Amino acid sequence: MTHQRPLGLGTHIFVSDADAAVAFYSEAFGAAELIRHCLPDGRVLFVELAVGPDKLLLSEEIKELNAVAPSTLGGSPVMLLLELEDVDTAFTHAVEMGATVEMPVAEMFWGERYGIVRDPFGHHWSLCTRREQLAPDEVADRVPPGPADGTWTG
Amino acid sequence: MSSASGSPALTTAGFQVLLALASGHSHGYAVMGFVDQLTDGQVRLGPGTLYRTLARLVADELVSESEVSDPSAPHDARRRYYQLTPLGAQVVRDEAALLARLVDAAHTAGLLDGERRTT
Repeated sequence: MTHQRPLGLGTHIFVSDADAAVAFYSEAFGAAELIRHCLPDGRVLFVELAVGPDKLLLSEEIKELNAVAPSTLGGSPVMLLLELEDVDTAFTHAVEMGATVEMPVAEMFWGERYGIVRDPFGHHWSLCTRREQLAPDEVADRVPPGPADGTWTG
Repeated sequence: MSSASGSPALTTAGFQVLLALASGHSHGYAVMGFVDQLTDGQVRLGPGTLYRTLARLVADELVSESEVSDPSAPHDARRRYYQLTPLGAQVVRDEAALLARLVDAAHTAGLLDGERRTT
């Protein structure tokens, strides 16, 4: 088999309410809607959002297409990573907008200030700000014994 | 990720569109033609890329739609008119200066022997 070098990797998430999700991601995470396509019945087939330099595709739940939202599945095993200049302000704002704290913001051993929220549509987001540029060996020396209470802090 | 100055990071297509606008091409089709001609066809901004890039630059407040566009026309980025905002003008100037330094280094490294030096 021959391997191609991929040209890009994007994220495509499914939500129960596309309009509410676009409003949340725009307000909480600074996303900008670029393109929207709807089915004839009005359901949102996909919205393309620009988030920083990257792209996030979002579809409304369309079960015929196996586009099933976390609220239907009972959770999501995926986390989206969002790097920001000021994680504390973004984290607080996301929670004010209706996100749920899964892990409060704290200094992490890998050199980031980092926290996790679950958005109102059931997707997990880790929010971070880079603090130190560490070499892999330096991070390895700092790894704590193990996570406690779902976090690495303490 | 944003640049050290805190202004939005530009994609390659974003820089090319800002460059076209700074060169006096304000119409979507003219932007596509400028980039195509400048690069001898090596870079072709298709209508999808043009639309996304302009929408993104507008969202980042680097570009605004200018008033000469026809609001009754169907929404097609190629048929609309755009202009640099003051922030967009600053960002494209900073990016051009950064690229010029890199190109100077490429000349010094002998990577552009035989190429026309433009500075």
